[in-house]
Amino acid sequence: MSYTHKPTVIEAIAEKLHLVPDLHKEGDGRKAMRAAEDGAEISCPPPSQWDNWVEYDSKSWPERKAKEYMLVPTACFNCEAGCGLLAYVDKETMEIRKLMGNPHHPASRGRNCAKGPATLNQIQDTDRVLYPMKRAGKRGDGKWERVSWDSVLDDIAGRMRKAIMEGRNNEISYHVGRPGNDGFMEWILRAWNVDGHNSHTNVCSSGARFGYAIWEGFDRPSPDHANAKFILLVSAHLESGHYFNPHAQRIIEARMKGAKLAVLDPRLSNTASMSDYWMPSYPGSEPAVLLAMAKVIIDEGLYNRDYLENWVNWQAYLQEEYPGTPATFENFIEGLKKEYAHYTPEYASKESGVDAAMIVDVARKIGAAGTQFSTHVWRSASSGNLGGWAVSRTLHFLNVLTGSVGTPGGTSPSAWNKFKPHVHAEPKPQTFWNPLHMPNEYPLAHFEMSFLLPHFLKEGRGKLDVYFTRVFNPVWTYPDGFSWIEALEDESKIGLHAALTPTWSETAYFADYVLPMGHSAERHDIISYETHAGKWIAFRQPVLRTALRRMGKPVRYTWEANPGEVWEEDEFWIELTWRIDPDGSLGIRQYCMSPYRPGEKITIEEYYRYIFEHTAGLPEAAAAEGLTAFDYMQKYGAFEVESNVYNVHEKAVPSADLEGASVDPENGLIVKNGKGVGVEVGGKACSGFPTPSKKQEFWSKTMVEWKWPEYRMPAYIKSHIHQETMNRSNGEFVLVPTFRLPVLIHSRSGNAKWLAEIAHRNPVWINAADAASLGIENGELIRVNTDIGFFVNQAWVTEGIRPGVLACSHHIGRWRRQQDPEANRWAANRVNISKEGKGKWKMRVEENIQPYESSDADSSRIFWSDGGVHQNITFPVHPDPISGMHCWHQKVRIGKAREGDRYGDVFVDTDRSFEIYKEWLAMTRPAPGPNGLRRPLWLNRPFRPDEKTYYIA
Amino acid sequence: MNYGFVIDARKCIGCHACTVACKSENEVPLGVNRTWVKYVEKGTFPDTRRYFTVLRCNHCAEPPCVDICPVEALQKRPDGIVDFDGRRCIGCKACAQACPYNALYIDPDTHTSAKCNYCAHRKEVGLQPACVTVCPQQAIVSGDLDDPSGKIAALVAGEQTVVRKPEKGTSPKLYYINGDGASLDPLQAPLQEEYHWSAQSRGVGHFAGKGKGAPGIEKPAHAAPKAGPKVRRVYDIPSKGAVWGWEVPAYVTAKAVSSGVFLVFFALLAIFRQQLPASLEWGAWSLSLVFLALTGGFLIKDLDRPDRFSSVMLRPQFGSWLVRGGLTITGYGAFLALWGGAKFLQLPLIETVALWGGALFALVTAIYTAFLFGAAKGRDFWQSPMLLLHMLLNSLLAGGSALLLLGLGTGVSPELSGLLRQMLVVGFGLHIAVMLIELYGKHPSVAAERAAEIIREGSLKNQFWAGSFIAGNLLPLILTITASDPAMLALAALLGLSGVFYTEKVWVQAPQRIPLS
Repeated sequence: MSYTHKPTVIEAIAEKLHLVPDLHKEGDGRKAMRAAEDGAEISCPPPSQWDNWVEYDSKSWPERKAKEYMLVPTACFNCEAGCGLLAYVDKETMEIRKLMGNPHHPASRGRNCAKGPATLNQIQDTDRVLYPMKRAGKRGDGKWERVSWDSVLDDIAGRMRKAIMEGRNNEISYHVGRPGNDGFMEWILRAWNVDGHNSHTNVCSSGARFGYAIWEGFDRPSPDHANAKFILLVSAHLESGHYFNPHAQRIIEARMKGAKLAVLDPRLSNTASMSDYWMPSYPGSEPAVLLAMAKVIIDEGLYNRDYLENWVNWQAYLQEEYPGTPATFENFIEGLKKEYAHYTPEYASKESGVDAAMIVDVARKIGAAGTQFSTHVWRSASSGNLGGWAVSRTLHFLNVLTGSVGTPGGTSPSAWNKFKPHVHAEPKPQTFWNPLHMPNEYPLAHFEMSFLLPHFLKEGRGKLDVYFTRVFNPVWTYPDGFSWIEALEDESKIGLHAALTPTWSETAYFADYVLPMGHSAERHDIISYETHAGKWIAFRQPVLRTALRRMGKPVRYTWEANPGEVWEEDEFWIELTWRIDPDGSLGIRQYCMSPYRPGEKITIEEYYRYIFEHTAGLPEAAAAEGLTAFDYMQKYGAFEVESNVYNVHEKAVPSADLEGASVDPENGLIVKNGKGVGVEVGGKACSGFPTPSKKQEFWSKTMVEWKWPEYRMPAYIKSHIHQETMNRSNGEFVLVPTFRLPVLIHSRSGNAKWLAEIAHRNPVWINAADAASLGIENGELIRVNTDIGFFVNQAWVTEGIRPGVLACSHHIGRWRRQQDPEANRWAANRVNISKEGKGKWKMRVEENIQPYESSDADSSRIFWSDGGVHQNITFPVHPDPISGMHCWHQKVRIGKAREGDRYGDVFVDTDRSFEIYKEWLAMTRPAPGPNGLRRPLWLNRPFRPDEKTYYIA
Repeated sequence: MNYGFVIDARKCIGCHACTVACKSENEVPLGVNRTWVKYVEKGTFPDTRRYFTVLRCNHCAEPPCVDICPVEALQKRPDGIVDFDGRRCIGCKACAQACPYNALYIDPDTHTSAKCNYCAHRKEVGLQPACVTVCPQQAIVSGDLDDPSGKIAALVAGEQTVVRKPEKGTSPKLYYINGDGASLDPLQAPLQEEYHWSAQSRGVGHFAGKGKGAPGIEKPAHAAPKAGPKVRRVYDIPSKGAVWGWEVPAYVTAKAVSSGVFLVFFALLAIFRQQLPASLEWGAWSLSLVFLALTGGFLIKDLDRPDRFSSVMLRPQFGSWLVRGGLTITGYGAFLALWGGAKFLQLPLIETVALWGGALFALVTAIYTAFLFGAAKGRDFWQSPMLLLHMLLNSLLAGGSALLLLGLGTGVSPELSGLLRQMLVVGFGLHIAVMLIELYGKHPSVAAERAAEIIREGSLKNQFWAGSFIAGNLLPLILTITASDPAMLALAALLGLSGVFYTEKVWVQAPQRIPLS
């Protein structure tokens, strides 16, 4: 209903006489458009209106100031979930006015978390990098000069060309923080014949990945929360994690339909707080709890016999563990009972502190939920502990027992719900294996041992000639940041460091080139994630470029539409590749040819056009609207490739694969040319799972062959921070440093004022009883000593954490030095870093968060001073010898701050951190495995190189 | 059509998406919020839980902010939306005192009041408010409460709901499903200096960019109640501070002097039939006029948009006591002018009319503030019926003290000064009694009691006991009883005047230190 104010007589006269401004005169007559009829309300204007949407300016309201927008979908780039965004491009100023949700995105469904709309802050950040910068002094000196993109491309391409021509392909590395670019970098790196992909995976998800992979080949779970009856989370998916917003929507949806939620977490997360069962387990004890639940399910016969009998490799178990025993299912169950006899709820309770009765109750509820039981663990316990991979392995055990793998309401393997794009030219797998990324000590790692890179370089394992970091900030986010600084400053180890980033960061300060790349609304990308029982593809696009194209003013390159000279990675890589091989003699350039214009350089639109034209169902859906596949994706930003994806393992094996194949009578494995192609279940040839047995592997031959026989079955591995290692009277605690806040995501969410105003400090959580026994008051300064140094932070005395456990969130405590360009002043302290003697680093906050003048008036209104404390830099590396995960949890000793200690102080001894690296390295059981392999052939490896490289020469 | 909100705490995960989406949609400056999420924790480990509560304007059916607004900047629309028009706002901040829910703030860009307006510009074109659109859980439901076929009406009818502070009689139209009592009541979990992710160190809104520190947080005078679970506020937005600063008590004091001088002057002439020297008459008249001008000056000084002060008269909302007060003051000023003119031109009849008319208007001028403060429904302490007497007494004390000073300066008869002394003795005595009753009497609400506590034994105790009670009332009382030395009497009068200011200062400050959300 429209409403306008009616003036009183006095006011009307006053306005007439111009005593006061006339607020009642007719406007300019321009009217907004209606999205829905009067009285009705919808969430978003319909796509038919997106090209030309007129709405009233909120700030001038109730004056009706009509503003004309073009609505262009894209995808968020803060956390990995890639939720849909819809940019409102002001047609007059050609600026983005706001970013709302894209209702056509199948995962986020038009809804977002706080980080989605806050993308606008990052785009409008007054401190952002707008032009390519080259260091002017020594690396890390903080002196920069603006250079041209041409000179950057020529310099880097020339260097790479030389390295490739000299066979130094392994000296080229692309290290990515926030991923994306599905398919793109496979294409580019393989075109270069470089095994150059390094990632952030091993500080994030390797633990969980390995636990899943060893069961079913797939390394991630895809819970179908929406249809579950019972949900068990070893995570905090109502506030964080992959994939927070899409998953949180579906978890609550299930709860509203009556599902129950249980959460294992030593800290009262928002998720734990919403749960029906909060199980505040001591960190690392989770597998004990999960195995105790498994025991209840086994002992009480609550398991899914059909599923176990058909889809678990129990025959192998009986064969190997009880040779000579008849291979009957009953014997398997008897075996299971024996294996887990000592995992009583009481034992689990002793290990974890969780009430035994609650463990039993939850186990029975899980049993009752049956195939409608969804679970998830991502970082959390699996990334905190030595042997953390046992968390996902024992969690998945519960899904296997209940037969809830791949069912409606159950938990599917990730790949079933993730779309894989086909690019126009697929170069052959690279013929190099880069041991700086995948060293022989970690044959089972998931995946690159990225956080050990500084130590590998220090040890002289190799050097990097060209090192790209892309939206990657290891100096701040990784453990042992000072070792990273040492490595980055050493020009004999890293020849050239190019930081591809939208913004300055602690790592970019130690680069040779800082190359500004677009935010989510400023570049192309395609994304697909396992958010639910479907399969979708979303299109991240530079919205200003798209708007210009639709308005009939197309640009050739994305940077022409972006602010300053902000490029997008895709065009950078194509251009770089072209310049590495300008005459085509290296055989590299050929892959960057247009599939539509033979012999010419591919354009970014052609690259995506090809993919969309080869996406199942997309060209047809587009044609139905009279659009090309590319135009369809530009318009809607997303496409659901499949929905209701379940039980894919039962899919029939293609008949061609069955020709000439043999079937193992014992376990049903269908083998052709020495390779498993499927498995016979109930007389049906099913494609199964990508494991050696094609089934769920309860008993793992791989673990035996790769020298870890003690873990051939799901087991509990005592963590490096197990209670037995703690001396509480000496002030020893386990520090959980990994938990996230709903509004932040590592250092990616920096430069966003609306997020910083909500969260800008990260005190150390300590249970009230612990604080009382140490005489620590809420807010008091404490020194937290790690194995390599310490940090000084405030205590947050709370009832929301298990006694004996400390927790500190890690997004906060960003910094810049006096000499560095200004950046992220909403949330970065100005610090002084000094080195006292070899490897002894000190950091002190010189100025905390202060208001400042800028073109954004809000910068003068910063109402907080506290910028938090950088904790990760005080952690040594803890590589899990099997999964390769950095085990984040720290054994720390705490006490009141000492005299002279100041809030935010950090001290680290990198010599000590190198020693600890060596201690953990000594725990490994290196390759070769059977047949001289570096890694089991069946285990997944991203950017899989040529099979020949798998064998140690 | 009757728009409202339902917020479903069964679904809300405390993600702050609504907060940020609203900031983006409405370009809300840093530090202030139209909607926000408060976190409260309860219990002891492991029986502990965190509660998330989305707070914002309730779009009350009886909105006190609309009633108090002098210029119709706040408007209740026929469709139930309580909207605002920043172009009309004069920045008097009365709405922030009237709203019991902390919904209003001063926009530091425009220096005008703002709050959630239900995204009226989106409703206009058939779109949901931005917070509703963004909410991952669809925990915020908007719509027409009167449409029985709609989702929101079904939720209100079918689920148990609560509203914030129903006792305020505002009929909020924001209904909470599973609303947490301890989170909805601002007093159960007190404000903290530091929350788990945030700590305020500078002023926001009205105080943004003024180099002021964070508003002080009242230390709880009581230990937490023994019974029931521990309750702790662990996240909240920054405090907006006491937006009525020194200008408001200064205006009240100036007004008290102006009206009080004339009232006492009138009493001496008309009731006590005193013959006053012309110098004193002119002096009293001038004092009234000067302080009336000062009253207006302080009023304008208090406005965040002083350039729009004339709107009070030119865009008047006659239900507002600010407008009624403005009219009264204008009328009073007119009678003063008339009296002066009549006296000068020696027109005794008109002089008498002006004297009586002026006195009547001076009386209303002296006491209307009590009605204005009474309309500030957010401030329980000002709801006391004694406030009227308090204002009147302050006016008489200020006027009496000022006239005594004037008399001592111009040399009045001992008889007259004796009369003034008697009046002041009665005035100080009564005022002391009224203050003690206000501070120690039983209060109808916890918030009122807390405000009294702040004055009695909290952060304002020194200002009150030293500045107001002892120096400003008790000492002048003793002096006016015992001293006959003119110097001592003058001191008593000066102390009495400063007492009026200090009393008003603590009376205006104290309730503003009680959190509304």
